[in-house]
Amino acid sequence: MTQAILSARAIGAGESRGRPFWPRGDTALAFGLLAPSLLLLGLFTYAPVVQLVWQALTAQSTIGGPQLFAGLENFRALFADGAFRKALANNLIYALGTVVPSLVLALGLALALVRSTQVNALLRALLFVPVLFPLVAAASIFLFIFLPGIGLLDYHLAKLALSGPNWLGDPDVALYAIMGLTIWKNAGYYMLFFLAGLQGVPADAYEAAILDGANPWQRLRHVTLPYLKPTIGFVMVIGLLNVVTQVDHVFVLTKGGPSDSTNLLLFYVYQQAVETYDVGRAAAGTLVMLALLLAITAGSLRTLERSFGEKEP
Amino acid sequence: MSAGLGEASSGVAMAEISPRIGYGAAVLVALLWTVPFLWMLVAAFNPQNVGAGMASLVPSYVPTLANFREAWASADFPRYGLNTLIISLGILAVQLVTITLAGYAFARLEFPGRSLCFYLFLLQLMLAPVVLIVPNLAMIARLGLYDSLLGVMAPYFASAFGTFLMRQAFKAIPRELEDAALIDGATVWQRIGFIYLPLAKPSLIAFAIVSVTAHWNEFLWPLMVINSPDLRPLTVGLATFTRGAEGAQAWGVIAAGTLIVSAPLLLAFALFQRAFVNSFVSSGIK
Amino acid sequence: MTTTRRSLLAGAALAAGLSLAPAFAQTPTEIELFFPVPVDGQLARDMAVLIKEFNTAHPAIKATPVYTGSYDETLIKTRAAMKAGKAPAAVIMSANFLLDLKIEGEIQSLDGLVKADGKTNEQFMGQFFPALHGNAVIDRSIYGVPFHNSTPLLYVNVDHLKEAGLDPEKLPENWQDLVTAAKKLTRREGERTTRWGITLPSNYDYGGWILQALTQSNGGQWFNPEFGGEVYYDTPSMLGALTFWSDLIAKHKVHPSGVQAGGAVSSAFLAGQSSMVLLSTGSLTHIRTNAKFPYKVAFVPKNLRNEVPIGGASLVIPKGVEGERRKAAWTLINWMTSPEKSAWWSRATGYFAPNKAAYDTPEMKAFIATNPDAGVAVKQLDYASAWFATYKTVPVRKAIEDELQAVLAGKKQPKEALAAAQKQADEILRPYVEQTALKLPTQ
Repeated sequence: MTQAILSARAIGAGESRGRPFWPRGDTALAFGLLAPSLLLLGLFTYAPVVQLVWQALTAQSTIGGPQLFAGLENFRALFADGAFRKALANNLIYALGTVVPSLVLALGLALALVRSTQVNALLRALLFVPVLFPLVAAASIFLFIFLPGIGLLDYHLAKLALSGPNWLGDPDVALYAIMGLTIWKNAGYYMLFFLAGLQGVPADAYEAAILDGANPWQRLRHVTLPYLKPTIGFVMVIGLLNVVTQVDHVFVLTKGGPSDSTNLLLFYVYQQAVETYDVGRAAAGTLVMLALLLAITAGSLRTLERSFGEKEP
Repeated sequence: MSAGLGEASSGVAMAEISPRIGYGAAVLVALLWTVPFLWMLVAAFNPQNVGAGMASLVPSYVPTLANFREAWASADFPRYGLNTLIISLGILAVQLVTITLAGYAFARLEFPGRSLCFYLFLLQLMLAPVVLIVPNLAMIARLGLYDSLLGVMAPYFASAFGTFLMRQAFKAIPRELEDAALIDGATVWQRIGFIYLPLAKPSLIAFAIVSVTAHWNEFLWPLMVINSPDLRPLTVGLATFTRGAEGAQAWGVIAAGTLIVSAPLLLAFALFQRAFVNSFVSSGIK
Repeated sequence: MTTTRRSLLAGAALAAGLSLAPAFAQTPTEIELFFPVPVDGQLARDMAVLIKEFNTAHPAIKATPVYTGSYDETLIKTRAAMKAGKAPAAVIMSANFLLDLKIEGEIQSLDGLVKADGKTNEQFMGQFFPALHGNAVIDRSIYGVPFHNSTPLLYVNVDHLKEAGLDPEKLPENWQDLVTAAKKLTRREGERTTRWGITLPSNYDYGGWILQALTQSNGGQWFNPEFGGEVYYDTPSMLGALTFWSDLIAKHKVHPSGVQAGGAVSSAFLAGQSSMVLLSTGSLTHIRTNAKFPYKVAFVPKNLRNEVPIGGASLVIPKGVEGERRKAAWTLINWMTSPEKSAWWSRATGYFAPNKAAYDTPEMKAFIATNPDAGVAVKQLDYASAWFATYKTVPVRKAIEDELQAVLAGKKQPKEALAAAQKQADEILRPYVEQTALKLPTQ
């Protein structure tokens, strides 16, 4: 059964390229099936995006006055703002420093816990716990971890007669403390996708490798990783989207401080929208974020699809 | 089928790619990951709410339920829990329909603009909820859904993540099965309902867990939509005492409140954890 | 007692309903009150109780208490609701947001309502402490009614004072006293400091407020209270204040370096890891409930004079709330800021009751007698002035907070930090200045 499915998929993937299935009825059917989603996305995603585009092109010329067309002025002001460039740079460090370690850690954990034993099930569950806590509460818990002097980290460091840095209060350390927290939150989540991916590695691929005399590292490199490519791509896409759109713990822990050292793109946009109340610049910032993410996603997905052995979507 | 597939390959994988040292390291990481959770448990039963010894992981006190009592009294948890349940399951129910249909279209149908459509879907994953608050609240008000649970749910009825996931899962299902059904004269609904859905069940369960967890824990959007005290979800009730602005941090009560709110998820997790992990393990992300 | 009063009121309302148009009595005016919870969770329930009492006393109005998160989230929700055409009838808004909201045209002047009650603005505001007027009255018009307020306050651990051989009857009054005491209170084990003499909160929002208190205690002014386009960052008074704070860390070594969040400061005080702290009077209840040691409070120590800024929140009515809803909101606002309710809320939260008459109620007198710390806090109100508010208050404040945080982390010297902050702030204020103070006749 297993083999049948695997080989059938391999054939199916190859075949479907040359032979479109139901050519005539397909288009109508496809849009019929997509209609509910497209309608909802239209109301709650595309309409706001259209509005954002309009807002990005307008600005108040008098304080408290109406929004008037301002061309690309908001984008100019955005890129001229040191805080925006700083947020962009921070987000880059944050993305590299969290996506790669979370991915490697998640993959390592998945490899170690791939067998479904009772103990492994428990360990997987423990690793998934960080995902289960609501942020409104977890934020306070995170705050306690990093609390100077009496917090979870410093308390236990003090037992070793060490004193930790001011985790969230030192501009040189805060971003890394936040990154540690992000890795803690995400590793277990991504691990589950790798566990799923590992189920797709056929046993006979390993058997062949063993017959060829490959050592464990060679097998990891030449058998496991190639099979996991699509999963790595998928997790990378989700991970990259998350490091830009899911930064709630920055909101609750540091508000971008100290001195903007943990300010990320989304938080910058939030500051423009809520604190500065500059709707135009906030919209421009959002669109720049969107463009960046689209570019990254398209790139990653193309790689993902190529690894899958077919052309894109 | 999935289980067989899982066992067959994972056995070999375990023997081959996970040496003992790696396994030991994984156990250590798992234990390290649990430290904040352990601390919460210790803190929640701690009669002392603040102080120098709060960070200890070894309870040195007579356990008390006072923190739970105080947290419980701070909000109408049974009612809020019901609201959260309605929101989470309501969203999920509609999502399962929309993502199945859209996932099938992307996985199996050829149509002009398919790539464009796919990226249009993914756009949803690229917009953070916080930038959508103002336009979406205006839309909800225009639809007459302001201050209603449906208003909290509506923006999430379509899910790009779910569609992406179902597309991957459906693609992994052999076309031959559908061809056979087609020859038997099955309609598209029958093919989706009797071939694709049953085979993609693990993916659906995996998605369900991700979706319910996310919406169970959501705070900002419900806070924006809901006015009536009777319609508040759990997170809003929880926030009333976890987020003192002027320095009040009663860690024990916060830990207790968090456990109360997370308890249903944790409990469900504990009960179904094997199925949960297995469903993930065999979901169609390949 | 309450039953009697309630039935009396109900009777009065019934009579009013009968004598007026019948429709008025049948359908109550529905209003919402957006309220953040700034202190602790029990207050969300207290607010529900308060509003229920209001509804019982006013059958013609049905008010709904809407919990709206933090002050920031309250602002977000209010603005989003207004844009969606669902403006709430009344909002408890952070007092330093009022100027911005007025400039952007989002809240309405309450002058007409005051006048309809047969009062002048001066008579109406006269019931509140003078220190609170600055953040409620803008250009002589009333835009907000003070609801709960605070000032910074010095909290001292009495046990630690005694241990260090200091007199608990004589708390630090000036900066010199403060440094002397802090030095004696600081404890070290080798390289590691196990107890700090003093800690001041410096996270965004809190840091600016504390720096304002130090600047004012140093004779300074932070901003022009009459015109929202000027801040005085690069001045000797603020240089003195910032250098003092920086010296506590770098020179005297009695204060931890880097940013200290408000929650961390109160936790450090309660855990005995900091002997003295500056915190809001809004933390009084929390400290009182949780301190396992005797503590005392005192005015913020001065260098040149005693003066601190106020904090807290005011009740506002958003633009677009009209007619019966507006009247009902006004009734609610007046009821909530009356001496009795004000006093009750103050005892529950630890905030001041802005209404002076609240302190004449017997309950409040008894409360102050048993909690002298609350009495000290109220006395400091005589030395308080308006909270920092300008055009684009938050980013203008952030301009100096970023620099403050850099100084506290040892990354910058006070002098250059203040110059940079002034430049940044002037840049943000420029559009407003150009459209106001620098908008001159051209012909």
